[in-house]
Amino acid sequence: MRSHSPLRRRKDLTLSAIAVVLLILFLLPLYWTLVTSLKTETEIFRIPPTLWPKTLNTASYAVQLEMGDFNMFRSFGNSLVIALCAMGIAVVLAVPASFAIGRYRFRGKKLIILGFLLTQMLPVSVLLTPMFIIFKNLKLISNWLSVILADATIGIPFSILILKNYFASIPRELEDAAAIDGCNRLGAFFRVFVIICIPGIVVCAIFSFLYAWGDLAYGMTLIQKQALRPITAGIFNFLGQYGTKWSYLTAFAIVTIIPVALIFLFMQKYIISGLTAGAVKG
Amino acid sequence: MSYLRKLVRSDRIAYLFVAPALCYMLLLVGYPILYNLLLSVQDVTVKNINNGRFSYIGLDNYVRLFTNDVLTTSIVNTLVFTVACIIAQFLIGFLLALFFNRAFRAARFVRGMMMMPWMIPMTVTALMFKFMFSTNVGIVNQALLAAGLIASPIDWLTSPVSAMIAVIAANVWIGIPFNMILLSVGLTTIPAELYESASIDGAGRWQSFRHITLPLLRPTIESVLVLGFIYTFKVFDLVFVMTNCGPVNATQLLSTYSYKLSFSLFKYSEGSAVANVLFVILLAASLVYLKYTYTEEEGM
Repeated sequence: MRSHSPLRRRKDLTLSAIAVVLLILFLLPLYWTLVTSLKTETEIFRIPPTLWPKTLNTASYAVQLEMGDFNMFRSFGNSLVIALCAMGIAVVLAVPASFAIGRYRFRGKKLIILGFLLTQMLPVSVLLTPMFIIFKNLKLISNWLSVILADATIGIPFSILILKNYFASIPRELEDAAAIDGCNRLGAFFRVFVIICIPGIVVCAIFSFLYAWGDLAYGMTLIQKQALRPITAGIFNFLGQYGTKWSYLTAFAIVTIIPVALIFLFMQKYIISGLTAGAVKG
Repeated sequence: MSYLRKLVRSDRIAYLFVAPALCYMLLLVGYPILYNLLLSVQDVTVKNINNGRFSYIGLDNYVRLFTNDVLTTSIVNTLVFTVACIIAQFLIGFLLALFFNRAFRAARFVRGMMMMPWMIPMTVTALMFKFMFSTNVGIVNQALLAAGLIASPIDWLTSPVSAMIAVIAANVWIGIPFNMILLSVGLTTIPAELYESASIDGAGRWQSFRHITLPLLRPTIESVLVLGFIYTFKVFDLVFVMTNCGPVNATQLLSTYSYKLSFSLFKYSEGSAVANVLFVILLAASLVYLKYTYTEEEGM
């Protein structure tokens, strides 16, 4: 076998080594943020910089608990509630809609798909001003409902465009088999399709969550009370308040990345498939 | 009962399934877009937002904005930012895609891990790069000083040109994985036999790349570039957090200018007018993209 020849194996090793070096270089900003968050403030200012903390300092994390309005663990909780609710709305609305688009023929379908494609490309900054005034008139400013409703608009089109392909790819025979077993289409929808499409639904849930988690614009305009703001807005305010307190700031950054890193470590394949399916096929 | 059963079996029930999502998007995206058009021809500011006494002033907002320099600066900045980012992230992403396309053991895992920057909230990325580019403690200055490339620290984020370079660098870091993964997917669709027969015919690596990879990858390359344009042109959080659009509008983009007008200066109508300019440009780009990708798609 060619692949077992020593020459081939050495080439494999060389390429893998290069790849790992590239990866380390590429993720250097993340490493640098992590070590900085674990250094003391004086060590951060040392020249030349230390490559890892000489004295391990976890105070930057612990002190946050007493930061009052800027408590990052409270902001973390706020973000969690907001992102989970936005995710819930997106999934609950996207599943039936994408089922219909993937399985039925009806008038206006093309137009509806086009609409979702266009909204997927629409930036938050276009909607920010009108949304603010609309929610202000509804007296929903500084109410989580406003930011949850706004964040879900990012996840819905993405989820529908991905899931419609999942639903469309299920063979017709399966639907027929379900029909013979006495399911009408509605029953078939719940019993057969949703279960088969669970991987797709997971992709949509992850992305809807991450979109809401990463949102800054809606969070800081629609929520004006610092204590209720999501963690991204917390970072921004903190930056304005304690400009160069890098140990605190990097600790804030690391805490914000935690859910992303966890999803990344345990659900990498979903992310890759979602990214490629969402962006290429639409 | 029988009507219900008929409905459930017919295709018309599809409307029932689509309706909730459709209504949601019409209310929370469609309506704001229309409302934005209305806002931009009114005179809503902090003075009258609470009493609701707005008057229509026609295109005055647009005229005022287009005759002042900041809007023009923002448009130019947005274009410079977008084009520079696209070129850099596309080239680096392409090289990485070609590299990871060679079959070796660690390829999949490492490529997967490299996707991380794409998923990290932009606010965090902005903070990380702000730290790395800071004058006194920034690792960028430390590295350049140690290498003897500069004699004294550069004020990256407080001088106009270098601030733009810094935000471009940060955004390229985010964009590389995106370009890499889409081009990787495109590369896997090229049949390996083509390369084999080309090498039998005596074609070298460069010739294979030039005559097989590039032409077959063309649709992917086009869509990656247009998508890259759309995603980069609308960047907001990154620049807003990293430089706060400064120094003196040197990194002011259309998105950040719209925000500034509405939420720092409280000139809501002018903010919405700028947002509409951004909207029109992105709508045009999106339609171009959709025309490319969806012309031959059947069964939509």
